[in-house]
Amino acid sequence: MTKKILVIGGGPAGLEAARSAAELGGEVILLEKRERLGGTPDREGYAKLTHHWRDASEAMAELAAAVTSNKNVEVKYQAEVKEISGSAGAFNVKIEAGGKAESFDAGAVIVATGFQHFDPGRATQYYNYYSFPDVITLTDLEKMLKEHKVVRPSNGEAPKKIAFIQCVGSRDRQIGNEYCSKVCCGIASKQAIEIREQLPDSKVMIFYIDMRMYGYWEPEIYWKAQEQHKVNYVKGVISEVLKKGDQLLIRGEDTTMSRPMEVLMDMVVLSVGMEPSAGTRAVAQLAGVEQNKYGFINAGGASGLDPSATSKAGVFVAGAASGPSDLDDSIAQAGLAAARAVASLRN
Amino acid sequence: MTEMTTVEEILERKSHSVIRDAEVAPTHDIREALYELEAKGEIIVQRVPENHVEVTTKYGRTKKIPIDHTWHHKSCGQCGHIPGYTSSIFWLHRQFGLDYIDPTDQTSCTGWNYYASATSNAAAQAAVMSRNFAAAYETGYFPMIHCGTSYGHYKEIREQLVHRKELRDEVRRILDKLGKPLVIPEEIVHYSEWVHVMRKKFAERQTVSFAPITATVHPACHYYKIVAEDAIYDPEIYGGQRTATVTATLEALGINVADYSTWFDCCGFGFRHILVQRDFTRSFSTLRKIEVMKNEVNPDLTVTHDTGCVTTLDKSQFSAKAHDRNVGIPVLSDAQVAALAMGAHPFRVVQFHWHSTDWRPFLDKLGIDWKKYWDEFQGDLDAIRAGTKSGITWEDADKPVIYG
Repeated sequence: MTKKILVIGGGPAGLEAARSAAELGGEVILLEKRERLGGTPDREGYAKLTHHWRDASEAMAELAAAVTSNKNVEVKYQAEVKEISGSAGAFNVKIEAGGKAESFDAGAVIVATGFQHFDPGRATQYYNYYSFPDVITLTDLEKMLKEHKVVRPSNGEAPKKIAFIQCVGSRDRQIGNEYCSKVCCGIASKQAIEIREQLPDSKVMIFYIDMRMYGYWEPEIYWKAQEQHKVNYVKGVISEVLKKGDQLLIRGEDTTMSRPMEVLMDMVVLSVGMEPSAGTRAVAQLAGVEQNKYGFINAGGASGLDPSATSKAGVFVAGAASGPSDLDDSIAQAGLAAARAVASLRN
Repeated sequence: MTEMTTVEEILERKSHSVIRDAEVAPTHDIREALYELEAKGEIIVQRVPENHVEVTTKYGRTKKIPIDHTWHHKSCGQCGHIPGYTSSIFWLHRQFGLDYIDPTDQTSCTGWNYYASATSNAAAQAAVMSRNFAAAYETGYFPMIHCGTSYGHYKEIREQLVHRKELRDEVRRILDKLGKPLVIPEEIVHYSEWVHVMRKKFAERQTVSFAPITATVHPACHYYKIVAEDAIYDPEIYGGQRTATVTATLEALGINVADYSTWFDCCGFGFRHILVQRDFTRSFSTLRKIEVMKNEVNPDLTVTHDTGCVTTLDKSQFSAKAHDRNVGIPVLSDAQVAALAMGAHPFRVVQFHWHSTDWRPFLDKLGIDWKKYWDEFQGDLDAIRAGTKSGITWEDADKPVIYG
């Protein structure tokens, strides 16, 4: 097999797709926009991975090493796709890597350009992320947890009371993101446990519409958070975050008790969801594959049963480029995309 | 270069203005759909006049705001309860010699009752809007909407008309009977957007200093929450996090704009509440808005840009005052503030006497001898009573006064 497989994106899905395709005998060119591999978990400084609790840096380094040590994979850093022409089995790709223009042929393309976290400033500012230093996001907190330094940005002190607000930028028709981002409930619960481990005197509350704890997250995270770490889950909708003295007042409705509530907090964590990355939007256009109304790449193919298939033959998708996805599913989808890409060239 | 700590990174990110990219806007650009319908011969799209200014809206798109050649879609509540609001808008136009029409064949949008679940149906609502737009189109002037309710309501109807052929057909059937075409303007424009783009010109002609004044801003829900992508945003104002209208105008006029925690709350009007649960409106308006402003920043003035907001914030304060609550902030629209800045007569034009919260300390602070102007106004009334004058005209009101 002499035709190459182009993998776009060096995050978990792209790394797994490149590794699997190479192990199946494919010759792979992997494009990464940054100077290093590891994607969003690396760039955003993730601490532990949900649900195996592995150190994120360590896990990403393993995935990267499996690719860089494989002689069938050529990694191009600081690389961006400029044009994709041709059709299945005979694509021509123009890129810019390290400031230089290049062009090569590829038989198949795997798009693994991932997601970006929802910017809480994109919609109405009910939660005042940009106004109050102590309103942070899951990703902000993840970095603090990694450094074992969870503090209030306003004063550098350890927070005593921390609230998570779920579904920020997800399941929200007002802002056009009707979908569930799948991972935020698990991540918030994981982070709540980590906070309680690092700050045993703290109180942690999670305000949710409903907790979506897929598969083993239920026993591994959800019940563990409540039973072992005394994390308090409150079913309710938070309408606003206000400042009161040097604390944050969160107002909303406790839907279980059917009554309004006000709670004072030291720090509020917004569980921001997923949106397609700028790379996903751009590459989808260049590759000519259909996107859904949110900008993610439509996957499923004609049968609806192939999560790696796009609307265009020879172009496959892996990971959060096709919609909100956790790491396990991204990796699985990447393996499938690799198998399909290799098979398409053999046929 | 020293690496930033996580906290420094968070604070640095929050210190940046938001620059939005229209390419990734979460909503479709309705104007493209309008042009498509026009190409199919289904509707007429009335173009914004040549003399316009382009502004940036919430998701980074561009919106054209006409400067003149405008057809003024007035507000029932402004004309009925706070007429100085409407006369200030016209006065400002007249100061710059801008060409406009104050039509006499415009109807209510009926939006207030619609939002209060009180009347009507989709076809009737859309037909009312379309008749008004057709009336504007027939004059060749571009509609400029004074009322926030009408502005928000029309934008919702525009969505319905664009997306539902059956509704378009039904409305066309009604308009055929009236002998009018189905017209949708290229942009739906709120007067406060015109005030926004004119703000620097107002400042150039400002004759009274607002330096001693601290004001709070209440952004109108119907302006920036309904069909949110149409509202003006500017990275220079609140870092692009909130709509720039009103605040940018006040800042251009040298007013110190102070922030308060419940800026995003409704004024209390709430449409349904003001009609069927007025006590709730009064409580919300005074306890959630006015008292919060008072406690947090104690402003000289609060400024907004919609009929319901001015009336509710202003005229609710009497009830809270009766309960010794911490209220007492005069309420004006941005147009009234701009007119006052340029020397509009406090009573012939701005018409403070229709506002119920005590505005005298505010005028005192500006050094405006309001008693003198009140006497002039009283003289007008005496003349009308005596039959020597039929009413106050632009001849009485056009000339800016040099406050003393």
